[in-house]
Amino acid sequence: MFIKYDIITAAVIISLIAIGTVAIFSATYVADIDSGNYFVRQILWATTGLVLMFFISMVPMRLINRFGYWLYGFSIFLLLLVLLFGKVGQGAERWLVVGPLHIQPSELSKLATVLAVSKYLSDKYADVNQLKYFSISVLLILIPFLLIARQPDLGTALVFLALSIPLLYWAGLNWFAIFTILTPVLTMILSFNFWTFLLLMISITLVLVFSRRKPAVLVAVFLLNIVVGIMTPYLWNQLRPYQQKRILTFVNPEQDPKGAGYQIIQSQVAIGSGGVWGKGYLNGSQTHLRFLPAQHTDFIFSVIGEEFGFTGISIVLLLFLILILRLIHIASLIREQFESMTIIGIVTIITFHVLVNIGMTIGMAPVTGLPLPFLSYGGSSLVANLLMMGIVLNISRNKIIR
Amino acid sequence: MTELSRRALKQRKYVYTAIVLILFFILYIGFFRIQVSGAEHYYEMSLDNSIRQLKEYPVRGTIRDINGRILVDNRPSFIVSVIPRQLSPETLQILAGIIADDPESIREKIKGKYSFRPVIVKRDLDYPTVVMLEERRLDLPGVLLEVESKRFYADDVNSPHLFGYVGEVSQNEAESRLEVEPGEMIGKSGIELKYDSNLRGTKGLRFVRVDAEGRDLGIFDAERNINAVPGMDLYLTLDFNFQQFAESLMVDKRGAIIALDARNGGILTFVSKPDYDPRLLTGKISADVWNSLQSDTSKPLYNRIIQSRYPPGSTFKLVAVIAALQEKIITPAWKSYCPGYFRLGRKTIHCWNAKGHGEINLLQAIKGSCNVYFYKLGLEIGLETWAEYSKKMLFGESTGIDLPNESDGLVPTVAYFNRVYGPNGWTKGNLANLAIGQGELLTTPLQMAQFAMILANNGVVHRPHIAAYMYDRRTSRKNEFPVHTDYVEGISEDVYDLVRTGMRMVIDGGTGWRGSVPGVKVAGKTGTAQNPHGDDHAWFIAFAPYENPTIAIAVIIENGGGGGAVAAPIAEQCMEYYFYGKILPRYAPKKDTLKVADSLESIISIDLNTIEPIQISVPDTL
Repeated sequence: MFIKYDIITAAVIISLIAIGTVAIFSATYVADIDSGNYFVRQILWATTGLVLMFFISMVPMRLINRFGYWLYGFSIFLLLLVLLFGKVGQGAERWLVVGPLHIQPSELSKLATVLAVSKYLSDKYADVNQLKYFSISVLLILIPFLLIARQPDLGTALVFLALSIPLLYWAGLNWFAIFTILTPVLTMILSFNFWTFLLLMISITLVLVFSRRKPAVLVAVFLLNIVVGIMTPYLWNQLRPYQQKRILTFVNPEQDPKGAGYQIIQSQVAIGSGGVWGKGYLNGSQTHLRFLPAQHTDFIFSVIGEEFGFTGISIVLLLFLILILRLIHIASLIREQFESMTIIGIVTIITFHVLVNIGMTIGMAPVTGLPLPFLSYGGSSLVANLLMMGIVLNISRNKIIR
Repeated sequence: MTELSRRALKQRKYVYTAIVLILFFILYIGFFRIQVSGAEHYYEMSLDNSIRQLKEYPVRGTIRDINGRILVDNRPSFIVSVIPRQLSPETLQILAGIIADDPESIREKIKGKYSFRPVIVKRDLDYPTVVMLEERRLDLPGVLLEVESKRFYADDVNSPHLFGYVGEVSQNEAESRLEVEPGEMIGKSGIELKYDSNLRGTKGLRFVRVDAEGRDLGIFDAERNINAVPGMDLYLTLDFNFQQFAESLMVDKRGAIIALDARNGGILTFVSKPDYDPRLLTGKISADVWNSLQSDTSKPLYNRIIQSRYPPGSTFKLVAVIAALQEKIITPAWKSYCPGYFRLGRKTIHCWNAKGHGEINLLQAIKGSCNVYFYKLGLEIGLETWAEYSKKMLFGESTGIDLPNESDGLVPTVAYFNRVYGPNGWTKGNLANLAIGQGELLTTPLQMAQFAMILANNGVVHRPHIAAYMYDRRTSRKNEFPVHTDYVEGISEDVYDLVRTGMRMVIDGGTGWRGSVPGVKVAGKTGTAQNPHGDDHAWFIAFAPYENPTIAIAVIIENGGGGGAVAAPIAEQCMEYYFYGKILPRYAPKKDTLKVADSLESIISIDLNTIEPIQISVPDTL
């Protein structure tokens, strides 16, 4: 039984968790504020998560498939509860308090959404290229997106948007449809500058001309983009300043009219000062003088960067790369659509978190408060990630035809 | 259960793998640049341990009168702030001891703030506290002593309603306004609020390096610093000397004086009494002061000129005249008999003149402000037309003056009465009352002054405003505020001419004779408004000179009594000061308080009998 386990995936996960706990120990080493023992708690969570992962990997996949919609419904219910009774943490309602536990339902809803969409599209008659199936899949993703965006937690909400295209493309969505979805979003962003807008519209037109679709479709897509492009700046100006402020801080919470983000500067200094070899474990001056914000959660990667340097960074990035490519590879070996799509959904979630969190530490991505999978301190996220890995291991154990 | 084709899976795998590899590569380059190429640079920075982000508050612009005389400017004031992250409980205790504050309340202030940014704990420190903080600086890591400016009012400057005050940003304001954040000082009312964005300037930011003890090690990276931009200076339309003179007339009174430049709507004087010392609301505002101002029954916080709504009394009869003439309901020759009272149904309403005005025409009715005449006229006009013309004269809507929280006043309409009393719940009596400016009708003193301006200008109305221009000290440029000019449609010149003739007669021997300024032809109208809060309010509106008006004025004295007796003399003095720059000497016989005549008699006692009568020779020819 254990032979069939995907040893590479399991080994990478455990290595990452180990590195994470070690870094958390360093990050909270001189903890004078909130001096709870993060290190021990993280180990407890990791143990719980690993046991859960093992357990999930043993459950028959049929069962998970059958409960796909129920799980989805349940996660939506929990998100609604958060909106109604959520506990405010850092300005947004994200937590549900059950006894001693603080649960973050958005973690569960990521997995549940992946399962629900995969299940829906793996139906015998389902064809993602038909409008009905396409729209319902998009709706399944949009509901949790909106509920989480409402909390407001843009980082997590964006995971859902990032999820949609890889998932639907894997299910066979044609490139023209993807083009049609992506261009209005691009237009929205670029429409604030006339020249970028013009350039975009020229490229869109070129792509449309060579796409050999029906003229009516071409005109419709073109008009859609023009309308979006003209309406976006107009609607933006219609908004009152405080509404604009909400949206701006929503997109980038560190957006600060007075100047560059303090957190980013501090994080860059920490990582940059680590150099090639790092300052050595427990020797990070930035870390230990607590100049780094949220260093054991969102900015754990900066601690690694300072203490283990470029070498340490390379190792962690390599581990993540192995994990991600490995999962994509596994997904490509499985012909059952439900299982294959589920893995793709999971790997997209992990990839998005990794890129946004790590990019944030050196100012390449906005500060959105997304944790780094397996490394950041935090029970909800760790357990949810291990749960997803449990499903991956389950599938790889049972479905790969060697 | 559908299955995917092996070919498609393989193809998609390559696409995904390629995308992931590209993204990771980009990320990797980012780290390479920071950790390998830029390592030395960042290492040096990390040696200094910390960068602190300090706000640089701009100096608030001054407020000056039309001649450039400074009315409101700034004085330095010390504030103490803390960096929550670096604040140990012991430091907190010491700090609380020095600034005589409760440690708990300090903890409350820094709760929920960014732990690495300074949070202001106390403003407007007195000098001994500053010295003590300086002395114990080494015991107080994470405590910053900074200088900011606070509002300073020149001697004799009052007018709190006009200037408003500056205060700390509230939680609400921080959320609803893009550019402000908690701890900052912004305008809260009056001019300070209305022109806040111009006066405030833009705050700057300095990144300084500090060591672990919080000592300043100099600029971190000059290029990242953002300089503060000082606020612009605001020049007002009013003349401070005139303002001061007008205030002196109102010292012990409740009410308002508002004078507009009839040629452009600029405010010449703006007095609302009672008021309070604006200095009470600078720096830290004590809760006691605030509460006592708020609970004061004479309502000193109220800006009576734009916020208080009064029944306008007889001044509003002019609106009935305009409506009746323009709609050709009557001609100026229309006559009516005033026996001193008027019977409407079972009610009897009295004219202020119990003896009655007798048989009078329109001009005589204006001059004598006859109530009975206007009761009858009101019934002829009808509520709908009356309301229409009241609104044409811009009553019932705010004037759009550049001060916040202006009231609309109230012009009752048919719809209004139906809503309040029900379709059958009101009678013609309500209408008759409105025609003489009583009843539900409510106006602000500013609307009355604007009304006087409309009459003076044959319907041309300039929006009342207090700000003349902004002056940008950096670019030495003057930014004038445009004057909004409008025109009241649909009222002919003849009508205005007749109303003005009537107003001239009011001053020239009519009820407003006390408003007559020597050497200047004034036109005006008195009003005595009954109100449920006690004695009548005294009203007077006027414009002058009659032929070529430059000033329009409205005066109200709350519970002052008759408009002609109380309000008109105050308006007269204002206009006299406006035209002559002083009060003209009066050659009225004075009471002989020193008894000069008696003493003369005692000094040179002359026996009248000893004086011989002078011989007068009368020519024979007479």
